[in-house]
Amino acid sequence: MSAKKSKMLKATLGLKNEMGRHYLAIEQAFRDGTPTAWATSGTPVELLYAMDVQPMLPENSATISAAQKYSQNFIELAEQEGFSYDICSYFKTNVGAVMEDVDVFKGGIRKPTFMLSSDVICDTHVHWFQVQAERFGGVPHYTIDVPHVVSNTTKRQREYYKKYVEEQTWELLEFIKEHTGHDIDLEKAKKVAANSYELSVIWKDIYELRKTVPCPISTKDTFGGLFPLFTMPGLRSPIRLYKKMYKEAKERVDAGQGALEKEEFRLMFEGIPFWYNLKYFAMLERFNAIIVYEPYTYAFSKFFSNPFETITKERLLKDPIECMSTLMLSFWYTFDLETRVRWFKETVREWKIDGVLMHNNVSCRPNNCAFYDLKRRLSDEADIPCLIIDGDQNDPRKLNVEQTNNRIESFIEVLRKNKKR
Amino acid sequence: MVGKIAYFDPDVVTPEEIIMAAGFTPFRLLGDPTIEHNIVNEHVPPTHCVWAKNVFEQALMGLDPEIKGVITSHGCDCTNREFDLWLENVDVNFLFYLNVPLKRDKLALKFFLSDLKELISQLEEKFKVKIEEQKIREHIKIMNAIRKLLKELSEYRNKMVLKGSEFHELVKMAQMSNKQQVLDTLKSKLDDLKNKPPFSDNSLKRILLTGSVIDDTEFLRFLEQKGFQVVADDLCIGSRYFWNVVDESMDPIKALAEYHLTKPTYSTKMPSYERYNFLKELAENYKVQGVLNIAQKFCEPMLYDHPFLNKKFKALEIPYTFIEMLYNREQYQQLSTRFEAFAEIVQR
Repeated sequence: MSAKKSKMLKATLGLKNEMGRHYLAIEQAFRDGTPTAWATSGTPVELLYAMDVQPMLPENSATISAAQKYSQNFIELAEQEGFSYDICSYFKTNVGAVMEDVDVFKGGIRKPTFMLSSDVICDTHVHWFQVQAERFGGVPHYTIDVPHVVSNTTKRQREYYKKYVEEQTWELLEFIKEHTGHDIDLEKAKKVAANSYELSVIWKDIYELRKTVPCPISTKDTFGGLFPLFTMPGLRSPIRLYKKMYKEAKERVDAGQGALEKEEFRLMFEGIPFWYNLKYFAMLERFNAIIVYEPYTYAFSKFFSNPFETITKERLLKDPIECMSTLMLSFWYTFDLETRVRWFKETVREWKIDGVLMHNNVSCRPNNCAFYDLKRRLSDEADIPCLIIDGDQNDPRKLNVEQTNNRIESFIEVLRKNKKR
Repeated sequence: MVGKIAYFDPDVVTPEEIIMAAGFTPFRLLGDPTIEHNIVNEHVPPTHCVWAKNVFEQALMGLDPEIKGVITSHGCDCTNREFDLWLENVDVNFLFYLNVPLKRDKLALKFFLSDLKELISQLEEKFKVKIEEQKIREHIKIMNAIRKLLKELSEYRNKMVLKGSEFHELVKMAQMSNKQQVLDTLKSKLDDLKNKPPFSDNSLKRILLTGSVIDDTEFLRFLEQKGFQVVADDLCIGSRYFWNVVDESMDPIKALAEYHLTKPTYSTKMPSYERYNFLKELAENYKVQGVLNIAQKFCEPMLYDHPFLNKKFKALEIPYTFIEMLYNREQYQQLSTRFEAFAEIVQR
């Protein structure tokens, strides 16, 4: 089988500069004495920008450690401190990186003015910041407690859940003011929200292009491409980058070109990728297979991945705090099972997907908890083939490459047979 | 109403008084370490909390027909996410997810109040009953009486009159039986103990037991064989169930919400490091010789808190050991040397 490399968009090369700008802004903030905040994904980072606080996303830093092949070392350092082999590898990477006080190129991250976490994705986020706030000698830490939406949560319940989140969001603004002296400027918040919305729109549009056969964009563009969505929502510069990505992808679509020379199988990848081995995904190309959708990367296009409420730009500009609070209640990456089944079916249909790869990421129990039932239901109700592969987002010790290769190879054979039916 | 409403709760924050006011007997779901995990492996990945999987395995095999409904209370990422799998696969007519807040402040209290009211209205709707405030008040009184008795009884562990394992059985019984029977049993037990002398064996090591849900009394018996006496604990089948009482003078639903949000902090709530404050208080007041932290395998909240607790107890110079266990009895013997090593440390 010959190796065929997928074509990355030229515009995606600009991602490095974009993220560089983000890290320079962090350095600048420390030089200028501008307040900084650690934030977990799923929190309203826009509000930090709106209040002139420079956000820092430790999850993003952890992926840098992994991509630069440092994560295992940091994870093992955290384990030497007593943290279990079985807990989140992002967390342990961050613990090790902070212990070693490494630079940003290795995933290092400095002590912030305050920390902002939430349990919308996982409780680990909250434990993580508690651990690190204490390590730094006591950093103020605000947690947004997001009620857990389950398959039988009613509309009535969602209403008071939302109210609780919104009340906390207002309290957060007070907390920020208390620790930085910065007050919320609602006009500025609206501008930031409008930028975030625009960024989401373009990401959605890029995803729309991925519906095309052949698909113009591979994970070489999306896995890394998602970072501005959660580190810089609300800024103008990533909008320019995404517009370039969109334009180039559209040109490919118009020319009938795909990211792969020959596209035979269209796949969905559920879960967080193996950041320490992104090249692994190129292996799929040997089978003329391409990943055309990842709920994880689409989830950050949050204005368009809410199953319960439509957030229009008008609504957002009218009340950005209410909208940000509403959005926190649901996250595509960790939807309740019923919603997940529905969205998977719709996505598979719309993106013309042949099969789903589900990453049983041992670091992320909220994501993988319902995998077996999800797989069964997709198979029984919609004849969608799924393959569960075991691994970890940041810990290379937990991915058995050969075993995974074998499983994927067999899965591709199943898809091939399905095509012949 | 005849029957039970069961609760699946990695802590002990399910308001039994509301269940009782609806006419049901509250019934805590426990694991069974003697069974094997079979069906559950078709639903839950292997690296998820072994205790939660065990309870789910039993539910998949079929709940006691007397159980008319199940309430799952917010716990950890595993138990929270598994609620949808229960909905999907467990044969029971009523399943309610109680969003006990992660935080414990005023906003959390207000939210919890709304969720308790939602529980009441869903119970009323489903079972065509009226849950009156007066009934809740009456059951708060009964439960407070039980709490006070248990607290009194727990002191007999400290006096080396009541074995930790016997006390553990009593708390379990209190969480699973008709509360009037519970009251009678506890009163009678207290009468028995009043005239009982301390154990003749004075070599027993006084320990504080903390950790995940520990529901197998056999484990406490095993500890006793190793020469330990649990004189204090901060467990859900233990002190967390009775340490405080509910304010009987307040609006009863608000009083219940406050009670659950002001009890000693557990590792599933934030900031979980506050759990240490209560542990330290217990360790000092009960003059323990060591602290034993037992985590069920893959119990994430404990895994995050352990290094902090380790550091803190080291600073206090109180021997501390953390042991992670699979949910089966073979583990006790397999880990025997670790407990023996702990006994050695405690002895010094």
